[in-house]
Amino acid sequence: MLEWILRGLRKGRTTTSYPRRALEPPDGYQGPVRLLHAADASPDLAAICPTGAIAVDSGGGLSLDRGRCIHCGACVRAAPERFAFTRQYETAARSREALIQIGQTGEADREESTRRSLGQQARALRRSIHVRHIDTGSDGSEEWEIQSLWNPYYDIQRLGFFLTSSPRHADILIVTGAVTGPMRGPLERTWNVMPAPKALIAAGTEACSGGLTGLTGLTAGGVDGILPVDVYVPGSPPPPIALLDGLLLAVGLLGVQVPR
Amino acid sequence: MTTTDDQRKLPDYLPEHLGAKREPGYGDEVRLRVAPLAFERTSHMLRAAGARFITLFLAETPEPALVAAFAQRGDLVVLRAPTQGADPVVYGSIGAGWPAARWAEQELVELHGARPVGYEEERRLTTPDADELGGNVRGLDVFSIPFGPVRSGIFEAIQFLIETGGEDVPRLQTRPFFKRRGMESRFVGLDPERAVHVAERVAGIASVAYATAFSQAVERAFGVQAPASAERWRAVHAELERVACHLDVIAKQAETTALFVGQARFQILKEDVTRLRAALTGSRFGRGVIVPGGVRYAGRMELDALVAALDRLERDFERDRQLFLGTSSMIDRLIGSGRLSRELVEDHGAVGPLARGSGVSVDARHERPYGDYRRLGLRVVTEREGDAMARVSVRFEEIAESLRIMRQAIDQLKRRNGELCVPLPARCDGSAFGWAEAPQGELLIWVEIRDARVHRLHIASPSLRNWALFDHAFPKDVLTDFAFIEHSFGLTPAGADR
Repeated sequence: MLEWILRGLRKGRTTTSYPRRALEPPDGYQGPVRLLHAADASPDLAAICPTGAIAVDSGGGLSLDRGRCIHCGACVRAAPERFAFTRQYETAARSREALIQIGQTGEADREESTRRSLGQQARALRRSIHVRHIDTGSDGSEEWEIQSLWNPYYDIQRLGFFLTSSPRHADILIVTGAVTGPMRGPLERTWNVMPAPKALIAAGTEACSGGLTGLTGLTAGGVDGILPVDVYVPGSPPPPIALLDGLLLAVGLLGVQVPR
Repeated sequence: MTTTDDQRKLPDYLPEHLGAKREPGYGDEVRLRVAPLAFERTSHMLRAAGARFITLFLAETPEPALVAAFAQRGDLVVLRAPTQGADPVVYGSIGAGWPAARWAEQELVELHGARPVGYEEERRLTTPDADELGGNVRGLDVFSIPFGPVRSGIFEAIQFLIETGGEDVPRLQTRPFFKRRGMESRFVGLDPERAVHVAERVAGIASVAYATAFSQAVERAFGVQAPASAERWRAVHAELERVACHLDVIAKQAETTALFVGQARFQILKEDVTRLRAALTGSRFGRGVIVPGGVRYAGRMELDALVAALDRLERDFERDRQLFLGTSSMIDRLIGSGRLSRELVEDHGAVGPLARGSGVSVDARHERPYGDYRRLGLRVVTEREGDAMARVSVRFEEIAESLRIMRQAIDQLKRRNGELCVPLPARCDGSAFGWAEAPQGELLIWVEIRDARVHRLHIASPSLRNWALFDHAFPKDVLTDFAFIEHSFGLTPAGADR
């Protein structure tokens, strides 16, 4: 046992200081897709996207629904002058509409000040935010990314997030998957026994909009068809930092006053 | 494809009186034609001759047929019975006498209305109900625990119905299919280049394996061959995926024994691998690289930097492995837990580290080498004990082996980093199998192409085949061993349920 501890000590500190400082993704990281040039688009562009995230209005204006994007890059390859991957982890938004980019937008980078104030909010809860997860039909990678939040690199216990076994003790419910038939009942029951105030996070593109599994007829096409979603974290799967960002946003909805 | 009389002969390992006619197939594929009602007899003759059951499904190309696939002596033996439009399809049951085929047959009955003759009705499989208890064991103080589909911790949805008096587990039922999303139907109508994105999202933790098996099936159907450099990159991505999955299993084993420092160490290693994959491909799960015809792009790192990263990983891994294997509080819990006998594993046609832990040397990379594995010298790791420790040891050894193979592939890439992708012909009609050794075990994908688009697809996932065995994993174990045994299986419900 002593050897394990020495080994751990020798490794030094690996934990990120996010949200105090940003965490840089590696070069070439394929984060959310951004619209570079939105005017005069051909209506054919909409057919490029396998999940219907791209729409072209009658005037040739392009819009992109990040809540449907699975980061496959089909659009980036077909029309590199219009679409590009951003090198960014954060994807979370408080409403479905906020994920839809209409027209050209700047880099949708999470402002440093926002990131910091989100961190302060979490601190105000005095290390007592309890998180529960339910899988309603994910592809399994979302679970890996949520699990990694508790690994030494991200260690979100330092921000006061704990995993709880019972939904009755939970403040935040993270839902993955587009909600299959057999999981609908367990999802509703889990949510209903959680005490208020509570927040629901839809994690992953499947949970946000159904993604690729929305049209198979076996899923509800996203969590918000069944329960009200407070925070959307699209991604296929969303990386740990995106999930952490989503958790911090959700904490803000629990009605906590930030002490001055 | 021209076929000589010689090729029409049955391979000599098959019984002479099989009652099946050989049809032309691709290279290492032996296609046999039988009547639907002869399915039972023929499959049992194959079993007696040492075949391993893989899957059973209804195909539509080149004609509607019931198809069963078996692995035997490095060949893929495919039994085909044209159904001539019969509805329902009536055939001789395979599952009645062969546990390996039971779930596949049940799925066929429930989802396609097939009628196997001589088949015993099983419990419902594909439409589970979380509230249904259905305990069978009677006795003093025996109770049923429905464990799942919502469980403590962050796990995928699956349910286990545990019948126990508190300690012994006289009966356990594994109930998958809570997550059935209809992924196979999602492929239909897509062109292969787009459909590969669906393949990557069937079982997200094995994206590379699914994309590779799908791409190889498409390549065989189109009659193209991915370039050598593409195959080398595919091997590198596949082995990184295997390392990540195996490290995940080991970290979870450490967690269940409350060896939290050990858990943290292996989680660090897993995150290191994940970050390496993100730097190499742009995706933490290696998505978007593999495409029918080759790979979309080469690794986005200098090869020397990649080798240096692997060296660092190996150094850290070796130290942690020594510590893990030297921690008696850890290994004492694993030794003897969840022992699966070789016979049980063979009867159920189990695959992957689970089968290799019970001394069954099955590995698609070795049995029917594909891609770069035809050139790489792979050592198949097996253990004989069949317990949780054996399955963990297999994974430890396989990580070391994966690192070795990756270096070989990278060495070759250093010498010649050539063409990465060949275009698919614009027109194609055909069908083929493709396979890959996923971290969970052998994965087989059947694809039918019409007008250059996917017409039908069937997935034989390692997780579904291995999970049928979980019901038998508690011969002498108690309820508190549940977590060790479950994690030692290392499966993913997403792959099983599709």
